[in-house]
Amino acid sequence: MLELEVKNVSKNFRGLQALKNVNFNIEKGKITGLIGPNGAGKTTLFNLISGFYKPSKGNIIFCGKNIANLKPFQRCELGIARTFQIPKPLRKISALDNVAVGFLYGRRHINNVSKARELALKLLEFTGLLEKKDFLAKDLGAEDHKCLELSRALATDPTLLLLDEVMAGLNPVETQRFLELIQRINNDNNITILIIEHVMSAINKLSDKIVVLNYGEKIAEDVPEKIVNNKLVIQVYLGEEKQDA
Amino acid sequence: MKRIKIYFLIIAYLILILIPLFTDSSYFMHIMIITYYIMFVSISWNILGGFIGQFSLGHAAFIGIGAYVATILLVNYGITPWLGLPLGGIISGCFAVIIFAPCFVLKGPYFTLATIALAATLRNLFINWDFVSRSIGIVLPFTDNPWIYMDFTSKKPYYFIILGLVSLLVWFVIVLDKSKLGFALKTVREDEDTAAAININPLKYKLITTFISAGLAAIAGGFYAQYIRYIDPDMMLINYSIESVLPAIIGGIGTVGGPILGALLLHPLSEFLRSSLSSYNSGVNLVVYAVVLILIIRFKPEGIIGWLNVKFENLIRKFVKK
Repeated sequence: MLELEVKNVSKNFRGLQALKNVNFNIEKGKITGLIGPNGAGKTTLFNLISGFYKPSKGNIIFCGKNIANLKPFQRCELGIARTFQIPKPLRKISALDNVAVGFLYGRRHINNVSKARELALKLLEFTGLLEKKDFLAKDLGAEDHKCLELSRALATDPTLLLLDEVMAGLNPVETQRFLELIQRINNDNNITILIIEHVMSAINKLSDKIVVLNYGEKIAEDVPEKIVNNKLVIQVYLGEEKQDA
Repeated sequence: MKRIKIYFLIIAYLILILIPLFTDSSYFMHIMIITYYIMFVSISWNILGGFIGQFSLGHAAFIGIGAYVATILLVNYGITPWLGLPLGGIISGCFAVIIFAPCFVLKGPYFTLATIALAATLRNLFINWDFVSRSIGIVLPFTDNPWIYMDFTSKKPYYFIILGLVSLLVWFVIVLDKSKLGFALKTVREDEDTAAAININPLKYKLITTFISAGLAAIAGGFYAQYIRYIDPDMMLINYSIESVLPAIIGGIGTVGGPILGALLLHPLSEFLRSSLSSYNSGVNLVVYAVVLILIIRFKPEGIIGWLNVKFENLIRKFVKK
């Protein structure tokens, strides 16, 4: 069953065409990777799916419903949650409340603040941020911010989770922890995941399918094993092989 | 620790309630009434400027609307201010929502500029508007029924009215601060994109907050008109907007106690400096006042409430140990 269909989506910023006729599907319960060199349009695509931009052309179908013109908060209500590439923590609020607000206003619509905090505690335990629950978000480190982003997105009870480079800049131990975390989110909670990542080893391990973007166009879509051997993808990442070398 | 603090606050509050029983100085009463009035305005400003982070410098406009609505209802139609105050609040709230809805496209300082323009425009409009008797202003009449028409000759009833209003407002803000709505406001303040990503419509909450904040400021304005008994368009000057912002900034922006502490500190301080220093040379009091403000902003830019809280806790600890 399809969770999300991106159909002929284009996005122009005045003269700059950030995305050209991008087509792909995401299946329910699967992890889809999204890769591409810098400026390929990955984050633009994320913003289109989560509603921060509207597509210049094309449709975005979520669970059979065209959502291309809905506002971000309306899409959250339908079950799309995202993290931001540059984490956007609520700086003057404790880590616990950063997550609790997701429970209060997300799809669970908890009306009781102490109940939301209770649920947030459980979630922080799951994501491994429990010890730092009382820290103000601004006092946390970069990897904790990434973890906080992930926790807050999960708190809204999504069916589709968009992860924008959650593992960028993490050390190998942290990366490993996040890998396991993302796999557990996918398996235990049956949440479909679309993930942007530059750490190739991570994305190969995680993904059921990888979509490759270059200059706003989809150049490949396949299982990870085939993507790493795809000539076009190698060319995009490493440049052309010199003929007379 | 928490209990000792609550006891301390209750005692301080009781002292404020009992003050009129021990003094007959109308000068002192006047300072206290204006302090509470500024506190009320500053707390209502803080809901919009502190909780949801929309920095308005146009609150004098809402104070003015509140004052004019209550006064015109009283003078032209004989409607009691007890009804005029909340009516002024509702009218001002609706007006603010209509004006601010398009303004919220602007972010940060640009929004602030729009609010300054709003107050300046409204003042000019009132100066040239016959219905509100132009720049002459309106004098509120005295009647025989002070309890119905809020026109007491003594300052004590006003003292208790504004103290009561402030108490209600503080209670409201304490509840708001801990409520689900409070969470939404702070989320929007910290990051609008994050808010939108977790199902919070930033514009919706900004408009709710605008209604509350402008409505409350108008209620304060209505009270001010009944107390001073004369209003003119100059009450919408930017000075009065700043007067409502300053206590919140000095005390601690976005906190419950900040504007309370700021108002208790600033207005009595400015009056004290005026009475004690202005005889030396005109303007000396203003210089000292400005220096105090600059020092606070320089060393405690987040407000003095957090700093004072820590000092107070240390003091209690010492005391308890002994």
